[in-house]
Amino acid sequence: MEDQEILVKFRDPATRNVAFNQLVRKYQQKVYWHVRKMVVDHDDADDLTQDVFVKVWNHLENFRQDASLYTWIYRIATNECLSLLQSKRRRFFLPLHDVGAELSAKLEADDSLAGDEVELKLQKAILRLPDKQRLVFNLRYYDEMPYEQMAEVTGTSVGALKASYHHAVKKIEQYVNEQT
Amino acid sequence: MNTPFRLAERPRRVHPPLAPPPDRYFEQLPLRMMQRVQAEAPRETAWSWLAGLSAPVRTTLASVAVLGGFVASFLLSSAPAPVASAYATLAQVPREEMVQYLLASDQRLTLSDLAELPAATQNLSTEGYLHASDQEVQDLLDAQPSEETYL
Repeated sequence: MEDQEILVKFRDPATRNVAFNQLVRKYQQKVYWHVRKMVVDHDDADDLTQDVFVKVWNHLENFRQDASLYTWIYRIATNECLSLLQSKRRRFFLPLHDVGAELSAKLEADDSLAGDEVELKLQKAILRLPDKQRLVFNLRYYDEMPYEQMAEVTGTSVGALKASYHHAVKKIEQYVNEQT
Repeated sequence: MNTPFRLAERPRRVHPPLAPPPDRYFEQLPLRMMQRVQAEAPRETAWSWLAGLSAPVRTTLASVAVLGGFVASFLLSSAPAPVASAYATLAQVPREEMVQYLLASDQRLTLSDLAELPAATQNLSTEGYLHASDQEVQDLLDAQPSEETYL
């Protein structure tokens, strides 16, 4: 089902549930992996994914289509992620690197990385980035999102995003080289 | 010497190599989402119009509500005391009607109760009322048992 059809059906109370079901099916994997990359842990990612879709349900009727539905959902997911990470930091009075260390510990507990030393170092290097820079890196490197679309998701200029991604790559390479 | 690590030379992955979500997670998520939004829907209807307002409007509304509460409590607490007006209203009732009303039931007053009232309101000295001199009154008081300490 196309986004436009989902929106039309969602605005009709008789077909609202069908439209929402189709929307969740269409975007659940993208949303889940977007937040999972940020919070690493599956349970946190599950909570966030559900919160994102609840917000979509509550506000889709007022969605003005200034951006595409896909970008709008990504934006909600991004804000939810950043809020969760920020609240964790506030709750436990953690500085930036401690949240990175906490996420790194979760990463090491994940068996999927066992045996691949370079990949583990790469992932640790990514987790050491500040939240917003990590977000920019993920959108560009893993999702291969165009900078213009990233600008809509993050509310940042294309120039600033390019600079942020460039610095992120440099930091990652430097960290992995230092650890080797 | 090791070759320096270059991200661009590494094969790109779609996701970081994290453990996949539990089996059938994505099959069940749409149903779980439907259940969750249906469960939350009735809770939101009562105050959903508030959520639709912008933050400044909500703040103004809350301020007006608090101010209204203060004004209402001030007006209620500073209302004219009903005691004064009750005396004025009572003064308008004819004396005969008042006596009839008070005597109408045994639960209220008797004629003897009413008879003592004029004496109580007059400023009588001990000489006029008790027909005893001050010395006689003092002697009687001194004769009281000393255990009654309240005297």
